Amino acid sequence: MIEMEWALIIGFIAAGIRTSAPLMLASLGETIVERGGILNLGIEGAMLISAFTGFMGAFLSGNLWIGLLMAILGGILTVITFGILVVRINLDQVVSGLAINLLAAGLCLYFFRLAFSQGAFPYLSELIGPYPIPLLSQIPVIGEVLFNQTIFVYVGIVSVPITYYLIFKTSYGLKLRSVGEDPLVASYLGIEVSKIRYTALILEGIFVGMAGGLLCLSMFNVFDTRIVAARGFVAVSIVILGRWNPVGAFAGSLLFGFTEALSLWIGTFLIGPESASISQLLSLLPYLVTLIALLIGGRRVRGPAALGSPFSKE
Amino acid sequence: MELERKRSLALSKGTIRSLYKAGISIGFALLLTSVLFLLTGANPFLAFYYIFAGAFGNVSLAAETLVRTTPILLVSLGLAISFRCKVWNIGAEGQLYMGAMLGTITAVTLGNTPLTLIISLLVSIAGGLAWASVPAFMRAKLGINEVITTFLMNYVSIYLIQWLLAFPFRSPDTLFPESAQIPSSAVLPVLVPYTRLHLGVIIALFVALPLVHFLMMRTTFGYKLKAVGENPEAARYGGINVGRTMFMALIISGALAGLAGFVEVSGIQFRMRPSLSPGYGYTGIVVALLGQNNPVGVALASIFLAAIFNGSTTMSRALGQPQGVVDFIQGVLVIFVLASEYIIRYLERKGVLKV
Repeated sequence: MIEMEWALIIGFIAAGIRTSAPLMLASLGETIVERGGILNLGIEGAMLISAFTGFMGAFLSGNLWIGLLMAILGGILTVITFGILVVRINLDQVVSGLAINLLAAGLCLYFFRLAFSQGAFPYLSELIGPYPIPLLSQIPVIGEVLFNQTIFVYVGIVSVPITYYLIFKTSYGLKLRSVGEDPLVASYLGIEVSKIRYTALILEGIFVGMAGGLLCLSMFNVFDTRIVAARGFVAVSIVILGRWNPVGAFAGSLLFGFTEALSLWIGTFLIGPESASISQLLSLLPYLVTLIALLIGGRRVRGPAALGSPFSKE
Repeated sequence: MELERKRSLALSKGTIRSLYKAGISIGFALLLTSVLFLLTGANPFLAFYYIFAGAFGNVSLAAETLVRTTPILLVSLGLAISFRCKVWNIGAEGQLYMGAMLGTITAVTLGNTPLTLIISLLVSIAGGLAWASVPAFMRAKLGINEVITTFLMNYVSIYLIQWLLAFPFRSPDTLFPESAQIPSSAVLPVLVPYTRLHLGVIIALFVALPLVHFLMMRTTFGYKLKAVGENPEAARYGGINVGRTMFMALIISGALAGLAGFVEVSGIQFRMRPSLSPGYGYTGIVVALLGQNNPVGVALASIFLAAIFNGSTTMSRALGQPQGVVDFIQGVLVIFVLASEYIIRYLERKGVLKV
């Protein structure tokens, strides 16, 4: 009996880390671009496009890894489109982000319906499952929780120190941060602002592509235009709560991943006539927790000084 | 010639520029949609003919287009106020649902009384306003980005309402998760017999539209909105309470979205359903941007998008196109509204256009 409970708890922790993966990847990507002074609210739409291209790639080729490649390409392409609007044409970043989200929703809905006739229910027959790391996954408890996960969790965790190093210890990171603080001064110092920002956007595109792709390729085996379910906006919130630091983003992602896992986990334990009712109500928990966390930890925080403001040398 | 000069005198430079922007956006969006039709093997001219015929082909179709215009216009008028001071409320969908839910609960609880309709409408306004006041407070007092909070609150409201309709307020007489039917005294009367055109369209076009126009163009509040939107620092320096203006703008837009929700229940659905809105809160964003936050522009843009909404259903059936063309058009329209300023500046530099 006790052993069974123990297994349930380990299962829950493993599930929490698994549901954190898309948030980890998306918030690390967003941290990079926001450090460069760009607020990309189009991340929600970029995740949707990657989920769609990932699903279509995998469905048509029958190969999940080709799906993942398509997802990453979809992510890069969408984020670059956003980049053209805000870096090249200098449009308002918030409105451009919203425009990307609306565009993504429109394109995905239309092309999904174009590809599959009404009433068809396309699905992927397999998913990218956990990949146990040899030896390490044999360690009791920790092995199950940390080393028997999908590739997305490993990439997310490994990317935390890499992103930290990139932002704080490399010359690119120094340029990125100075562009995010004061692009005008940075450009006087000879830094090519748009080049730095495009590079950051491409990096974000890769992260967001994986985050969106994994929804279809590893979490659910179907595509729906509601599949992202505000995870992009939760990721933006996590960046604020994590104070534009990859370590903070990692911690925030775990918090929200665990909340999501918890709302599902509690649901499975409820019995009696009220259970269906309560577990349905629990679906709003992750959003409510994000809002409360912002209310407590998001007040008057100071991000990169130039965050969100358009920049042109003219 | 004489007439033309008079007309050009009547329209200010800003208005002409706005018209150019709207024209360019719509032109490019329709052009791209035509390419899409060609690629999918449909004749674009025929497709647009079917869209137009489906929206305005006869009296009942035109009435349906006005029915569709009503919620879109109410939502987008509110968003125009909020966008004017650069408060990006993207939570109109949730505010609409909250208004509709609370209005329905009120109507069902009150039953048939002479005041049921009025009280329910007021409650729906209050509901949308209250729901928007949370992100408005977070924006004005704590400086938390309203785009994130309004969007997250959409999810809270929709899951909350799904639960309310599945359990505490489930109808006793049907099998679906929906509310009980509202009493007959809470129903908005039909204006044209044999159509669904209800009093809501009058509320939207002849009450809300002039009120919002007056508020934005003729009051100090309207002036404050513009000042805060153009330069919040200068506005603050000029003695305007920036936080308060943003707060008011956001809750007014919430109030109108809430009203749109209950008008939809009491004019069309007669029950609150989880599927009440096919995304009017998001369509409202496109409309407010296309109408460039001008109430008259917003009204024209509402009719335009409502027509595409309804017409594309007819077109899809006639030409075997997938549903969802309207979402595609909405998406590309926003991008071109954004890019139109750049396109105009480019044309000006080339000397093609003089504004």
